[in-house]
Amino acid sequence: MTMPNLHLLHEELIQIVGKNGLLPNDWYNDYRVDGFTPRAVVLPASVQQIRELLTCAADRKLSVIPAGSGTKLGIGNLPQKVDLVLSTRRLDNMVEYEPADLTVTVQAGMRLENLQAQLAENGQYLPLDPTYASLATVGGIAATNASGPLRMRHGTPRNQVLGMRVVQSDGAVVKSGGKVVKNVSGYDLNKLYIGSFGTLGIITELTFKLFPLAESRITMLLRFQRYEDAVKAASDITTSQLLPSYLNLIINGVPDTTLAESSLVVGLDAHPKAAAWQRNQVQWIAKQRGAIGVEIIQEPQAAKLVEAMRAFAQANPSGQVIVCKANLRMSDIGEYLGVAFAVTNALSWSVRVMGLMGTGQVYFVFSEFFDMIEPKMIASTLAQLRKHAASVGGNLILEAAPVDVKRQIDVWGTVGSGSEIMRKIKAQFDPNMLLNPGRFADGI
Amino acid sequence: MSDENELIQELVDVVGPQNVLTDPTALSVYECDGATLFKALPDMVVFPENAQQISTIVKLANKYQTPFIARGGGTGLSGGMLPVRGGMLIALNRLDRILEIDLKNQRAVVEPGVVNLLLTHAVQDDGYFYAPDPSSQKACTIGGNIAENSGGPHTLKYGVTTDHILGLEVVLPNGEIVVFGGAIEETPGYDLRGVMIGSEGTFGIVTKATVRLLRSPQTYQTTLSIFETMDDASNAVSSIIAAGIIPAALEMMDQLVIKALEDGFHYGFPLDAEAILIVELDGIEAGMQDQAQRIIDILNKHNAREVRYAKDDADRENLWKARKSAFGAFGRLAPSYITQDGVVPRTQLPKVLRQVAAISRKYDIPIANVFHAGDGNIHPIVLFDERDPDQCERVELVNEEILTACAEAGGTITGEHGIGIEKMDYMPLIFSPDDLKVMASVRDVFNPTGLCNPGKIFPTPESYIKLGLAG
Ligand SMILES: Cc1cc2nc3c(=O)[nH]c(=O)nc-3n(C[C@H](O)[C@H](O)[C@H](O)COP(=O)(O)OP(=O)(O)OC[C@H]3O[C@@H](n4cnc5c(N)ncnc54)[C@H](O)[C@@H]3O)c2cc1C
Repeated sequence: MTMPNLHLLHEELIQIVGKNGLLPNDWYNDYRVDGFTPRAVVLPASVQQIRELLTCAADRKLSVIPAGSGTKLGIGNLPQKVDLVLSTRRLDNMVEYEPADLTVTVQAGMRLENLQAQLAENGQYLPLDPTYASLATVGGIAATNASGPLRMRHGTPRNQVLGMRVVQSDGAVVKSGGKVVKNVSGYDLNKLYIGSFGTLGIITELTFKLFPLAESRITMLLRFQRYEDAVKAASDITTSQLLPSYLNLIINGVPDTTLAESSLVVGLDAHPKAAAWQRNQVQWIAKQRGAIGVEIIQEPQAAKLVEAMRAFAQANPSGQVIVCKANLRMSDIGEYLGVAFAVTNALSWSVRVMGLMGTGQVYFVFSEFFDMIEPKMIASTLAQLRKHAASVGGNLILEAAPVDVKRQIDVWGTVGSGSEIMRKIKAQFDPNMLLNPGRFADGI
Repeated sequence: MSDENELIQELVDVVGPQNVLTDPTALSVYECDGATLFKALPDMVVFPENAQQISTIVKLANKYQTPFIARGGGTGLSGGMLPVRGGMLIALNRLDRILEIDLKNQRAVVEPGVVNLLLTHAVQDDGYFYAPDPSSQKACTIGGNIAENSGGPHTLKYGVTTDHILGLEVVLPNGEIVVFGGAIEETPGYDLRGVMIGSEGTFGIVTKATVRLLRSPQTYQTTLSIFETMDDASNAVSSIIAAGIIPAALEMMDQLVIKALEDGFHYGFPLDAEAILIVELDGIEAGMQDQAQRIIDILNKHNAREVRYAKDDADRENLWKARKSAFGAFGRLAPSYITQDGVVPRTQLPKVLRQVAAISRKYDIPIANVFHAGDGNIHPIVLFDERDPDQCERVELVNEEILTACAEAGGTITGEHGIGIEKMDYMPLIFSPDDLKVMASVRDVFNPTGLCNPGKIFPTPESYIKLGLAG
């Protein structure tokens, strides 16, 4: 697009969203997608404006990249084109909150942190702890089905979203689900939008199920000489009657903490007596498995450690980091780590690992001077890791990688026999391929 | 040979003659589910034994343009498995194997015809259980639970079926066998597992499921308390939730249910009491006594007249027996009944229950209430005599007013039983034509010919007229 055309486009967008609704050019770097700078970043202030923006985009055949704060725009295959980034961050109102109902309805652009602060005043919270704690919006979190260590106890947005309002690519505003905790009226389309990475519509409003804050919390840190022992201790815990909120295996440390060797971090949120009983059990297990240190971490260090673990899989903005997430059965994690280390040690890549031992996600974070290594070679190494995951019924998703690497490998991997249905759903929801084209799994 | 005879011959070739029913008397067993007011006779019932056979049968149904509908335990309460346009029932009773139990990873792989409770039985000695526990769990199947996204008394704490299913094998309505989700928690692409669950048998036939198993709780604390007024009991429910306690179950029964239970089973409940509340805590033993005491204090603060307390497993079983035998007791109250299934925000419970009582008086139709109070999921049991056309007419209006009250309170018209044919007319109370259009477009992706369980879920033009929403 030539400069005068770009100017015209911006004029037209200002007609829809007003001057405050168009981000000035110098901010566009925050919303770059795999090196593509968008032609415009718009911040609509109403659902009506979103509808008009979609009409404008359809008329001009512009792609629309739905976003919140832009923290997860790096996830996905290389975009085909990045025209309009549409951020819902100005739609950030609380719509309805009745604490006694244990539900809340908010606009999609509300930051999780702000929401949590308001809920905490009533002794409640939304048990989601994805990356980018302070920036991430609830809409972006749902669109990416983002979660963190707490998923062991509370699951992901798929378990917590009760209802949604979504603007379809044709401008229709539709709802799915509702505001009550149990609902089987009609199809559960929430599940389609959650984790659809902006390819099916623009989420504008969400209703969540809430939980009371725990009465007490104990944070434990178990250190091991060998990660194999940490894995065994984790397995002892997951097969016991203990109910941790999270159970994270850390290998090679978490930045900004003193963790170095292989560690298990255990969160026990419960009635004080139940937490204390569980603490004793964990201490016993740690001893059996030869832990070289067992600590109870006090506040404020505990909160810092939790924050650091949340941030573990955050891609750094330089793009010089590779983050992959392997999804495995819990019992396959130990062996898989062995194979993965064999592969990466052979290349003398250093890797940090965080395993969510109760749910089977293992994050690998590589931070090398990747510009010095052939992208092809990086891609083939990642493909090996993926193959090993697949051989035990798992998969491996690349959450962040330099653009040159993404040219060589599909970040999602194969989707299996659901492929045809997925493509047809996309064609129904977005026949003109307006929304986030090419970035999602299976070329969607 | 007629088309139908040819089809039957081909079906016999697939599953053998003993597994194809066509005799009208034999078929009459299959004319309804748990919502016995609705009836429709299938043209045939087939009993396949594996996914491959189901795939072949579905392809035959397509070839002969015959509607086909999966049937599990037949306990549905919304007419979901009724062959309203005729055609073939595919009964899944023979797919009843538990294929794999993987305790280390807390999951099992089962065929759809496995009866819900038998799954828990298979793992309970090892200290595990399958959490979704519909009150019909002795008869309903995992496949039916998946189709309806069923709940139960303990879903307050543990969530509904969708929270416990990891992967599905499905025969699509074109006969293709596909897999959604898997043995692990996340797979790339859209969550087709999630949309399949709760699709009421209209997206294909589930032939295998990977389900989550949970560790059995160390201990339970169960109380049954008796209240003089419904309001006191409802307020106790709100106070418990507001105190930051999430019990495993919070179940309520009203006076009419108490009366039916006393007539039938003699539990020694006072007939002048308006409500019974069952509260169950489960989990780690340490600290449980304290929490139970807090619950008892709350119950007393809301004027509980009596609090019965389970001292051991046998006691606990006894307290639950009343709740579980409730449905068996309604037959004593009236020849027929319809179970409603609305959900309202918890804070709206007292108001909506008063509205239900007023509707009952207005139309002179008795309504009993036994329900999942902690979830705000009410089950008004509308009692009547189906042989009396005048009563039937009033019951129509009662249904409509109750569901309207739930919708207006910010709730929904079904929390666990599904829309089926029973509530499709009322869908416009909660969904706009645009909302429904999107749902229909997803159905058309899975089920483009409409042969898979036709005539369900979606309102017809008549529905809008009936609700006074036409034009
Ligand atoms: C006394 C009583 C108490 C009940 N309590 C509860 C309760 O507490 N909570 C609750 O949620 N429900 C309850 N129900 C309702 C009912 O039991 C559930 O809806 C149950 O899940 C139905 O299972 P089923 O195997 O009987 O399914 P069916 O009635 O045979 O079928 C129900 C629907 O599922 C479809 N279906 C069945 N199997 C498959 C499959 N393999 N693939 C695709 N579609 C399939 C059918 O086509 C139909 O649309 C109760 C019913 C009764 C009679």
